Amino acid sequence: MNEIKQKVLAVMAGVFRMDAADIPDDAAPGLVEKWDSLQHMNLIIALEEEFQIRFSDDEVVEIMDLPTIISVLKERLGQ
Amino acid sequence: MKKLKYSEILACNRELGDSLPGDDYRVALLSNIVMSQLSDVLEFQLRRQGIKAKVTMGNYDNIVQDSQRLKEFDAVVVFWEVANLVDGLHASADILSDQELLALAERVEREVFLVMENLIHIPLVLFNRFSSLIFSANDLRVGPLANLSDRLNLALGGMASASKIIVDLDKVLAKVGLDNATDFRQFQSTKALYTIDFLRSYAVAVTPAFLAATGHSKKVLVLDCDNTLWFGILGEDGEDGIQIGGSTLKGKIFAEVQQILRGFRQQGVLLALCSKNNPEDVDRVLGSHPDMILRNDDFVAKIVNWQDKATNLRTLSAELNLGLDSFVFVDDSSFELGLIEKELPMVKCFQVPKNLSEYPSLVRGLKQEFFTLSRSLEDDQKTKLYHQEQQRKGLAAQFDSIDEYLASLKFRLTILWNEEIPVPRAAQLTQKTNQFNLTTRRYTEADIQRMLLDTDYTLAVFSLADDYGDYGVAGMVIIKLEKASPGRAVIDSFLMSCRVIGRKVEYAFFNEVVQRCRRMGITELRAEYLVTQKNSQVSNFYDDIKFEPISVDEKGKEYLIRLANYEQQDIKHISIISKGN
Repeated sequence: MNEIKQKVLAVMAGVFRMDAADIPDDAAPGLVEKWDSLQHMNLIIALEEEFQIRFSDDEVVEIMDLPTIISVLKERLGQ
Repeated sequence: MKKLKYSEILACNRELGDSLPGDDYRVALLSNIVMSQLSDVLEFQLRRQGIKAKVTMGNYDNIVQDSQRLKEFDAVVVFWEVANLVDGLHASADILSDQELLALAERVEREVFLVMENLIHIPLVLFNRFSSLIFSANDLRVGPLANLSDRLNLALGGMASASKIIVDLDKVLAKVGLDNATDFRQFQSTKALYTIDFLRSYAVAVTPAFLAATGHSKKVLVLDCDNTLWFGILGEDGEDGIQIGGSTLKGKIFAEVQQILRGFRQQGVLLALCSKNNPEDVDRVLGSHPDMILRNDDFVAKIVNWQDKATNLRTLSAELNLGLDSFVFVDDSSFELGLIEKELPMVKCFQVPKNLSEYPSLVRGLKQEFFTLSRSLEDDQKTKLYHQEQQRKGLAAQFDSIDEYLASLKFRLTILWNEEIPVPRAAQLTQKTNQFNLTTRRYTEADIQRMLLDTDYTLAVFSLADDYGDYGVAGMVIIKLEKASPGRAVIDSFLMSCRVIGRKVEYAFFNEVVQRCRRMGITELRAEYLVTQKNSQVSNFYDDIKFEPISVDEKGKEYLIRLANYEQQDIKHISIISKGN
């Protein structure tokens, strides 16, 4: 599993209080119980701290599932 | 608070909660905006202090109603956001009519009274002042939102008491910086306004109140003397050489620090001294030095001796009948602080900053360690009460683990013989060293040069370094061959600077001196201890390394040491290098 995905899963596990192993590859608010609008902002904050970046207003709304999070991060981190 | 990432806080928080003993300390968090992140951050901060906090959120925007249903809570935090008194007030305040604003003010005032009444039996209430700073920071005049806040704060202020603390949010905002404190990306969607950074700072700012409420606040402030209460080393610079107040920059800084400490004492903080010095010297400074601000009466105890400070703090704790977990310790020395941090981790340690200009701020900041909920008229008298109650006990036991600490520092001793000696520093050592000095003979540079040229003399200095840094050249020996008796020599001088006392260096150094003498064909060493007012701590030095005195009188003691009988001292924690002939 690539490094970015691993880190994102770890962050999600912390924010949503669940095991990283239980997070599906297409994780999104509908699929993950704890992922509501409130937790979404917590997720944003935690991801920003982990990767040392700041998401734009647009990105905050865009990154609503795991695959998108990973691809946006890849772009931002120049990978 | 160490800057843990938010996700780490979430993870650690759970673990911490499970590991703390006892019942939950129940904290209710009431707010009219979304504050769910604060519950994790505050829980974590309190749990790290040993308080098993469990934070429960109120219903969003129902502060008054929530305040009615908090019967069994230990503490309540009220975060009443002005910007959301009505939806969008931060934007509409400027266009509301005066009557509308007045009606709003009166309504909220009544609500504030109601909430405070409902919370009257809660042991600790933290009620934030109403603040419009986030939205009014650029206004040169006071606008409607700020006016509203001021009015509400007036009402709130009247309700403050010992256990109902009005928290000034603006102070926290100032520390964090407005830009760093707010995140408007959340505001429109979920009405969450503050960043984790702000919430961290807020949690740290209110921690003293929780510690006081749970009986965890500190009670005793223990201070070193040299370079902590005054600039300089009393044993080396003398009473006239240390600087307090007066016209020197450094003196003024220490004077300011002493004044701050005096203020602490008046607020009920117990001050104590723990210093490696001769007690009489320190007493004289406290009693009669014209520039001292702190005097004997300001200290609840003074432990001034040459023992290790961990033992001394234990003694102090027993004397005052206060746990070491209520102690704060301030010293300039990394060595001393390292020892306490290792031996007594429950004592909170602070180091005098290298840049002295930062020292007063550091001390001012200590105030919060001693925060108490109730201030009484007796606070001023606390120190005196302790004076009246305590009795001095005898010496506490030494602890073997000191050796472990010493070993961890990896001391390196470098011995420089004869031509390797830095002459000016050697002369200075003989002139300035008073306490650890067996014969207190004073020499000039010319004297040292003369001895170096004389084949009957052998001289050495040592320098010491450890993992904290370099102590520089800190000790010396002068040996003179006795022409009349071949194979015999006398130790003219054996001395060591204050700054390396307590590390057993003297024994390692003496080992090397003996070995050198043996190589020179010396079989007997004559040694003396000559009594002075200041060197009583070395009166038994030669006895301690198992030499019998051949004569004792009021001037001192004389010894004859047969080198064949000398038992090498076992000093494992110091590695040694020798240079020179």
